Amino acid sequence: MIAAVRVEALKLVRSLVGMIAALALVLGTVALLSGITFGVAGGNPELIAQVGPAAELNWDGLLTGAAQITAIACILGFGIVLAWMFGREFTDGTITGLFALPVGRSRIALAKLIVYTVWAFVVGTAMALGVLLLGVLFGYGAPSTHAWAGLGRLWALAMFSAGVAIPIAWIATWTRSLLGGVAGTVALVVITQIGALTGVGAWMPPAAPAIWAMSHGTRATALHLALTGSVAVVFGALTCWTWKRLQLDR
Amino acid sequence: MLAFENVTRVFHNGTGVFNLEFQLQPGRIVALIGLNGAGKTTLMRLALGMLRPQHGTVRLLGHPVDAIRPEAWCRVGTLIEAPAGYPELTARENLLISCLLHGADTSLLRDSLRVWELESVAERRFRHLSQGTRQRVGLASALQHDPGLVVLDEPGSSLDPASVILLRDQLTRRARQGAAVLVSSHHLDEVSRIADRVLLMNAGRLIGELDTTGSDLERRFFEHIRADDERRREKRKHDDRGRTC
Repeated sequence: MIAAVRVEALKLVRSLVGMIAALALVLGTVALLSGITFGVAGGNPELIAQVGPAAELNWDGLLTGAAQITAIACILGFGIVLAWMFGREFTDGTITGLFALPVGRSRIALAKLIVYTVWAFVVGTAMALGVLLLGVLFGYGAPSTHAWAGLGRLWALAMFSAGVAIPIAWIATWTRSLLGGVAGTVALVVITQIGALTGVGAWMPPAAPAIWAMSHGTRATALHLALTGSVAVVFGALTCWTWKRLQLDR
Repeated sequence: MLAFENVTRVFHNGTGVFNLEFQLQPGRIVALIGLNGAGKTTLMRLALGMLRPQHGTVRLLGHPVDAIRPEAWCRVGTLIEAPAGYPELTARENLLISCLLHGADTSLLRDSLRVWELESVAERRFRHLSQGTRQRVGLASALQHDPGLVVLDEPGSSLDPASVILLRDQLTRRARQGAAVLVSSHHLDEVSRIADRVLLMNAGRLIGELDTTGSDLERRFFEHIRADDERRREKRKHDDRGRTC
């Protein structure tokens, strides 16, 4: 198992996909938040109307904007990385090298999920730290207890989004294609948006973490978040099982 | 070492392999020869658990392939179709991955790079290697952990003449040391030099063996294929007549 984790880590670390996705998520979020803040500070009425509660020039506004961006960007970025990690084995034809090994394929799939989780943890932490740094640079002062809680929710949102994206691993395996996984990611983003716009949002596992983070923890309960977590666990297990039963018959 | 017991696997389009029956003993090299689509790769995929048979049993080291202990796979080395290298990793890293996944000692890497003359390209990314060099990386990956069973699909493809000789030497040496080797190839002359048995495949069936001692292998190969095609045509006609009556 350790060997499989080491191998998967090497593949992700040496890939452009993992690096570009990490940079895009961290720097993209910071750049977008900076743009919004400068736009709001400049009195752009259209932008102020569009961003709603994120238009305040304080920690609350910054964290609300960060949550809005993270909710979509993380699912998109994490989904694409998962689609690559699982789908590329089929697209690149490297799947044949993962048979006839003392390490079972379910363990290889589990190793991929472990490496992905660690990577998502690093990216989520870097995103939260980036927002913290931005707030300090904008002169919002030292974060209050309330702001620290918001930063914690932002980090948790990134981690929940990493879980929300796990079905993409199964989709990329089932379709045996990287593009299938990317298409699944786009579908997941659309579902999350629909969930956020309709009243049932908190009961939709992909949308619950975003609603929770953007409402400062008031519109989604621990039960809703537990449901999101359980979907990640179920799809993680399903992916490992699918890899175990895999045949190269297509 | 490897045994097929009346193994059948049919795909949705009706092609596949049918009633395969053969054994591969330690210290022997068995070659599979057939035209494209004859079922050679399917047979190899069945041997390695990449496909499950619908009928019959594939036994590896005495156990059905799907019930084999994971550690037993340490003793198997494979190269099926194209070499499965990761394009973003170097040749050395690809071999390292193979070592780690086979539970082998990573100190074998140095020898492997030397034997397959890969030292000069060891730090070059797999995507930048020529086809022939990729094939050598694939062969090194399949053989570096000193497997007791070697399954290679078209191992000579893309190799230059010097590498073909190297491959031949490696396989015969390993067979002398007790390894069982199964190779498929289109190159009749090449396999006739190393194989103890040459099995003929046509339309998903093992149709016999080719005697490699005589001359004009190609003519005899095609005679076997044509005779088998003719037999199947006659059988189909007979079956159709039976249905009409």
